[in-house]
Amino acid sequence: MGAFAAMAWNGFREARRNRVTVLVAAFALLLLFATTLVTEVTVSTFDRVVTDFGLGVMSLLLVFLAIYLSSGLISREIERRTIFLMVSKPLSRSRFLLARLAGNMLTLGVLLVAMTLLFWVELVLHRAPITQPQMAALWGLYLELFVLTSAGFLLSTFASQLVSALVTTGLYFAGHLCADIYNLGVKSKVELVQWVSKATYYALPNLERLNFRPRATYALEVTAAELGSATLYALGWGALFCVLAALVFERRDFR
Amino acid sequence: MSAATSSAVSLPVSIRGLSKTYRVGFFLNKQVKALQGLDLEIAPGQVYGLLGPNGAGKSTTIKILMGLVRASEGQALLFGESPDRPHVRRQVGFLPENPSLYEYLTGREFVTLAGRIFGMSGHDLDQRVERVLGEVGMGRASDLQIRRYSKGMVQRTALAQALISGPRLLVLDEPTSGLDPLGRRQMRDIILAERAKGTTILFCTHIISDVESLCDRVVVLVGGKRVQEGSVQELVSAKAPSVEMVVHGLPLEQLQSLGFAYEHAQQLDSRVLLRVPDAASHGLLQAVITKGGRVSRVQPARFSLEDLFLDAMKQAGGQTVGGEIQ
Repeated sequence: MGAFAAMAWNGFREARRNRVTVLVAAFALLLLFATTLVTEVTVSTFDRVVTDFGLGVMSLLLVFLAIYLSSGLISREIERRTIFLMVSKPLSRSRFLLARLAGNMLTLGVLLVAMTLLFWVELVLHRAPITQPQMAALWGLYLELFVLTSAGFLLSTFASQLVSALVTTGLYFAGHLCADIYNLGVKSKVELVQWVSKATYYALPNLERLNFRPRATYALEVTAAELGSATLYALGWGALFCVLAALVFERRDFR
Repeated sequence: MSAATSSAVSLPVSIRGLSKTYRVGFFLNKQVKALQGLDLEIAPGQVYGLLGPNGAGKSTTIKILMGLVRASEGQALLFGESPDRPHVRRQVGFLPENPSLYEYLTGREFVTLAGRIFGMSGHDLDQRVERVLGEVGMGRASDLQIRRYSKGMVQRTALAQALISGPRLLVLDEPTSGLDPLGRRQMRDIILAERAKGTTILFCTHIISDVESLCDRVVVLVGGKRVQEGSVQELVSAKAPSVEMVVHGLPLEQLQSLGFAYEHAQQLDSRVLLRVPDAASHGLLQAVITKGGRVSRVQPARFSLEDLFLDAMKQAGGQTVGGEIQ
């Protein structure tokens, strides 16, 4: 195992030892509760409601975890001074940063897979279909987690965990609303509002481009082109955040 | 390659005109000069001590060498290359002051992780981990999580991770802090064992007895500046020798009226303890006997590194804490 892989694996081990897997249990309980409720109150829309609820809860829990993990990882290393022993090793600062990011994405990926398996078991037990749009929505969710994690990482290289978490949460909401903000500007007659809304739209990642959950709910197929475009979009934003994080991190003094 | 750089190639540590200024304050409008034009060279196999009071610039020097802090001016080289290059740091083991380790790992896992970052793997790594944990006395507790460790156990584990790669240069920042007397003895033994293997060791401390017993050369820093540098023997013997005398039968006031320049004079019950330059000792002895006094002891006063350290601080204007603030 190389230095990069060792650091990435350590990030996963840290999350596991800090009991993030409890989220999977929370997901299982919520899903069980929802299914019991849904079977009582729905007549013919069971598949739709369970898909919507399952993907929604998965998204909520994992987004919360992504923000928590990414906003604290580097700032905590700096505050607790564990960074001294890592940055002084034969591993460049950028590689250290990327390894920590990889560890986070591994943690989120493993949890996403575990939750997906539970979700599928639920669907199979109730004879509901596993569909292509559900798979697309899950991939979209992972891409969204990547963008948010990269943003949290960038912030945590120079801000405290609280500030990073607040800003990343703001980015999550603004990212889902930025198309609406853009439309607001288009409809406005005030030039300043038009300018600000456009600037906001282009300055923030449009997370709705990665959100295929409504399509999964209504079983509307997602094309390969759409998925490819969403993947490139997320990778672009993630790469931008990572490059900025590396630039900030390379210049920092660790006193 | 310039002449200066080529001469520094074989040197484990070479520092030229190194300065570091920190910006502090809410608006970063104040400057603290932590280091001011430091020059230093450490030859292979030397045990080199950085000595100085709090805020003298010792840790800043070490952090620049370990790539944790960027120099404002000047150059710090490890084996003739910038410390920013990861392959250079492959030859260095580092123990920071009050080390902080990943608490969710066991000691063994942490040292293994350090070994993997150094590019080690497999059976060799396992064997090496076992050996260094044994050397630092952590063989039995190595499978406990670090969050359960005492400060001394953390210090020992941190030393084990510094030794894991068999470094050519060992950089130790306050290595004996947090250790009990047995731990300090073991730490000194490990440093001596590493020196015997030919490892170059740079360590900073304010425990002067450690420096005296371990170091070949010493630099004394005060307020970010170098005030003394040399071998321990040179520094101690460079000071003009003094003589201590214990006098009976004459009061302190009468002895002071004899006109000798005493380095130290103190009344102790019926005796007076005097310290004078060696050159004046013969005259003083005669004067005491002439005045009817009795001398019960005459012995050379041992000038220690501690005296040197205190002298250096006096020369630097009594500045004890922190760099120069502007």
